Amino acid sequence: MAEFIVMPKMGLTMTKGLLTNWRKKEGDTVNKGDILFDVETDKLTNKIEAKTSGVLRKILVDKETVNILVPVAIIGTADEDISELLKEAKAEGSEKEEAQKKEAPQQEAPPAPVRKPGERVKISPRAKKTAEDLNVDYNLVPGTGPGGAITEDDIRKFAERPKAKVSPTAAVLAEQLGVDTAVIEKDTRIMKADVVKYKLDENLAKYASPQEYRQPMTNMRKIIAERMLVSVQTSPSVSFNIKVDTTGMKQLRDDLKDTFKVSYTDILVKIVSQVLLQYPLLNSSLDSEEILTRNYVNMGVAVALPEGLLVPVVRYANAKGLKDISREIKDLGERAKTNNLLPDELSGGTFTISNLGMYGIESFTPIINQPEVAILGVNAINKEPVVVDDQVLVKPMMNLSLTADHRVVDGAVAAEFLAKLKEYIEKPGLLLL
Amino acid sequence: MKIAIIGGGPGGYTAAIRAAQLNAEVTLIEKERVGGTCLNKGCIPTKVLLHTSGVYQAAKNFESIGIKVTGTKLDWGEVQRRKTEVVNKQVKGVENLLINNNVKKISGEGSFINKNQIKVKESDGSQTIVDFDYGIIATGSKPVVIPIPGIDLPGVITSDEALNLTEIPRSMVIIGGGVIGSEFAEVFSAVGCKVTIVEMLPNIVANMDRDIVSTLVFKFENSGVEIYTDTKVVSISRTEEGLAVNTESAGKSRTFSAEKVLLAIGRKPVTDNLKLENAGVLTNKGTVAVNKNMQTNVSNIYAIGDARGGVMLAHAASSEGIAAVESIMGMKPNIDFNTIPYCVYTKPELAGVGLTEDQARDKGYDVKVGLFPMSINGKAMIEDEQQGLVKYITDNATGEVLGLHISGPGATELIVEGVLAVRLEATIEEITSTIHAHPTVAEALHEAAHAVHNKAIHLPK
Repeated sequence: MAEFIVMPKMGLTMTKGLLTNWRKKEGDTVNKGDILFDVETDKLTNKIEAKTSGVLRKILVDKETVNILVPVAIIGTADEDISELLKEAKAEGSEKEEAQKKEAPQQEAPPAPVRKPGERVKISPRAKKTAEDLNVDYNLVPGTGPGGAITEDDIRKFAERPKAKVSPTAAVLAEQLGVDTAVIEKDTRIMKADVVKYKLDENLAKYASPQEYRQPMTNMRKIIAERMLVSVQTSPSVSFNIKVDTTGMKQLRDDLKDTFKVSYTDILVKIVSQVLLQYPLLNSSLDSEEILTRNYVNMGVAVALPEGLLVPVVRYANAKGLKDISREIKDLGERAKTNNLLPDELSGGTFTISNLGMYGIESFTPIINQPEVAILGVNAINKEPVVVDDQVLVKPMMNLSLTADHRVVDGAVAAEFLAKLKEYIEKPGLLLL
Repeated sequence: MKIAIIGGGPGGYTAAIRAAQLNAEVTLIEKERVGGTCLNKGCIPTKVLLHTSGVYQAAKNFESIGIKVTGTKLDWGEVQRRKTEVVNKQVKGVENLLINNNVKKISGEGSFINKNQIKVKESDGSQTIVDFDYGIIATGSKPVVIPIPGIDLPGVITSDEALNLTEIPRSMVIIGGGVIGSEFAEVFSAVGCKVTIVEMLPNIVANMDRDIVSTLVFKFENSGVEIYTDTKVVSISRTEEGLAVNTESAGKSRTFSAEKVLLAIGRKPVTDNLKLENAGVLTNKGTVAVNKNMQTNVSNIYAIGDARGGVMLAHAASSEGIAAVESIMGMKPNIDFNTIPYCVYTKPELAGVGLTEDQARDKGYDVKVGLFPMSINGKAMIEDEQQGLVKYITDNATGEVLGLHISGPGATELIVEGVLAVRLEATIEEITSTIHAHPTVAEALHEAAHAVHNKAIHLPK
C-alpha cells in the first residue's frame, strides 16, 4: 500500500530539516536500505535510507526546509492509485505551513538535555512502548544500552527516580508563579530561593525572547566562505604592518584636485603596481612546484557589497596612468554594485588591495585571494604626533597591513617591499623616474 | 592535616571534636578552663541560679497547689556550691570528650608567630610552638566596660562577678536591659534584692518581639523590678549606703541608689593578645572579619563565635565551628543563620526564631500574625504558669512561617518547632495540620498557628 515518506527527526532538538538532494527519481524502484535523499541540519548532511521497498511515486518536497514528520514523498507499488495521499499531502502541507508560521516566534526552550543538541535518540521499540505506558518523555532519559541506546530498564529507572523534595513554601510559591518544580534541577530539597531564581531566569528568557534564524547562504556567500577557507588552509601566511607618513600623498591628491579628482586608493593602486614590478615574488603565484612571476600587475580592488564582497581587477595597472586607473576603479566599483561586471573582470588578479580606512580601522590581517600570494590592507589616515629631528610634529599617518604567503615570500622580502612602498608613498615624485 | 584552635569554648571545643571526627590532627589551646564563657561564666552557671530562683519563687505559692511548706529559706552558699558543682561536672565532661577524641589540649595563652605557627605561653612559664596547616580563632568575648566616671568603684561589677557574689545584695542597679541584664534581674529580684533596670533603648530585650517581651515587662513590674528605658547612665558615684547611678532621660537627671551596680551592656571580642598582625589577619574594631565559611582574609585561618562578632550565642558559635572545620576539610557546610533561636530564661521564659513582627514588616512582607495567650492553655494552668503568649509570624502571600515567638512555660524548649518550620520553609498549614499532644503547652503553638487564619478552637470569634 502506498505511504508517505516523511522528514525524519534525527535529534533531540531537530524541528526541521533542509532536503538538499534526492538520490532517486520519481518512478525509480527503491529497496529498503537504499539511500533516498540528503537532509542538512546545522552543518551536517545526513543520508536518509528507505524504510520500505517500492516505487518512488511522487516527490513532494525538494530543496526545501520543512518541519519534521512532514511528508516529502510517496512510495508505493508501480500502478497504485495515490490520489488520496496526494490530496492529503496538499492539505497537510498548507496546514503544516500555517503551524510553522504560528510556531516560529515562540519556540520553546528544549528540555534539559542528556545528549548533545542534534544528537540522535537511540531507543529500542520496547523501551519506547514502556516510556509511553509510564508517561515518560524518553528524550530526557540517559541511555545505558549499546551505543548509548535507551533500554526498557532505563525508562523504568527514570520513572522511579527519586524526585527532589520541595519545601512547602517553595511549593506554594511555585504554584503562584506557575513554575513546575519538577524542572528545577537540584539534588537537595528545593527551597523558596530556587523557585525564585528559576522564575527570574525564565522571565529573563521571556523578556530577551531569544530567537535564531536560518537561511540558505547566497551563492556569493558560499563562494566567499569556500575561498576564504581554502586560502587559510593553503597559505601559511604572515602579516606585517608598517606606518607611513601620508603628507606627500595628500599633497599629490590636493595638487591634482582641480584638474582631476583621485582617491587614495587610486594613488595606492598606481604606486603598488609600480613597486610590485621591483618585487616580482609578491606578484607571483605558486603552481605545483613552480613559482610563476610576471612582468605585469593585475590589481584586484576589493569592493564591499551589502551581501558580500567582490574583487574586480584593474588589468595591467602597472602600464596605466593615474587618470585611467581612477576611472576604471570607479567604473568597476559602480558596476560591481549593480551586478554588471563581466566574468573576466573578476578574474586574473595578481595582487589585491583592500581598503578599510574609511571605517577608521588601524590594522587588520586580510586573507590572501588565491592563487595570489599577497594582499595589502589599507587603514585609516590619522593625525599623530611624530618625532622628526627630535621635534614632535603632527602628521597624517597611515598603517599598511600586508599579508603574504610564506611559501613564496620570506619575511625579509615582504619587509623590503613594504619599506619601498613607504618610500614611494612618502615621496610620490619617485613615480616620475 | 594539622588544625590548631585557640579557645576552648562551645565554638572551639565543638570545632575540635568535629575536626577529630574527620581525622584531623587537632591541637586545642585554652588559657583557662575548657567550656569558655558558656560553661564557666555564662549560660550554665546563670541557669543554675535561675533554676533555684524560679523554684524558690514557685515555693512561695506551693500552698495554692496543695503543698504546705514551712520555713522555706534560701541558702545562697549552697546555691553557689551547686553552681560550681554543675559547672565542674560539665567542664570535666568536655575535657573527657576531648581526650576521647584524641584532641591535644595545651593550657596557656596562644598568639600567632606567623600564619602557620602559634606560640603558647603556658602557666608554668614554658613556651610551646604549635605548627598548623589551618588555624581557628575561637577566643570568645568579654563584658564591655564603658568609660564613665565611677566605673572603677568597688561594687560596680560585670556578669563575671555577679555570678560569684557570696551574699545577696540588698539592692542592685542593672545597667543594660538585654538578655544578660534581664536574667540577672530575674535571679536577684526573686531572692529578695531590690532591682532597678536602666536601659538606654526604648525597650528591654530589644532584639526580640515586643509582644513577647511585654509579658516579661509586666511580670517585672508586678514583682517590684523597676525598669527605666530611654535612660542614659552619666556617672556612678559613692554614697553613704553604697553607690549612686546618675542618669539622664529626655533632659531630666535622675539618681538611683544601690549596693551593687551590674554592668550588662554587651560583650566584645577578645582578640587583643593574639598578635593577629603576625599572621596578617584583619580585624574591625577587634572583631575578626570572616566570609560565610568563617574564613578570614588569610586563607588558612578561620574565626568563629563571639571573636568574629555576629550573633554572640553559644549555639551560633558551635554551628560556626562545625562550618569552619567542614570548610577546611573540603566539605560544603551550610549554616542557615535564620534558624538561630534566641532564648531568655526568665519567668516567663522567652524564646524566638526567625523574624519578629516589626522585622517582617520592615522587610516588606504582607504579614499575618497568629496569637494565642498562655492564660487559657490547660497545661499552663495546671502548672500555674499562665503568663505568656505564643505568636506565629507568617507571610500572607505564601503562608510561609517567618518567625515564632513564645513566652511562657518551657518556651526555650518549645521554640524548636519554629526553628524546624523556618529551616524547612514550612507554611502555617504544615503547623496547623500537625497533631499536637494534649494536654501540653505546645497546644498553644498549634492554636496560635490556627489563629493566623482566625481558626483557633479555643478563642472567641
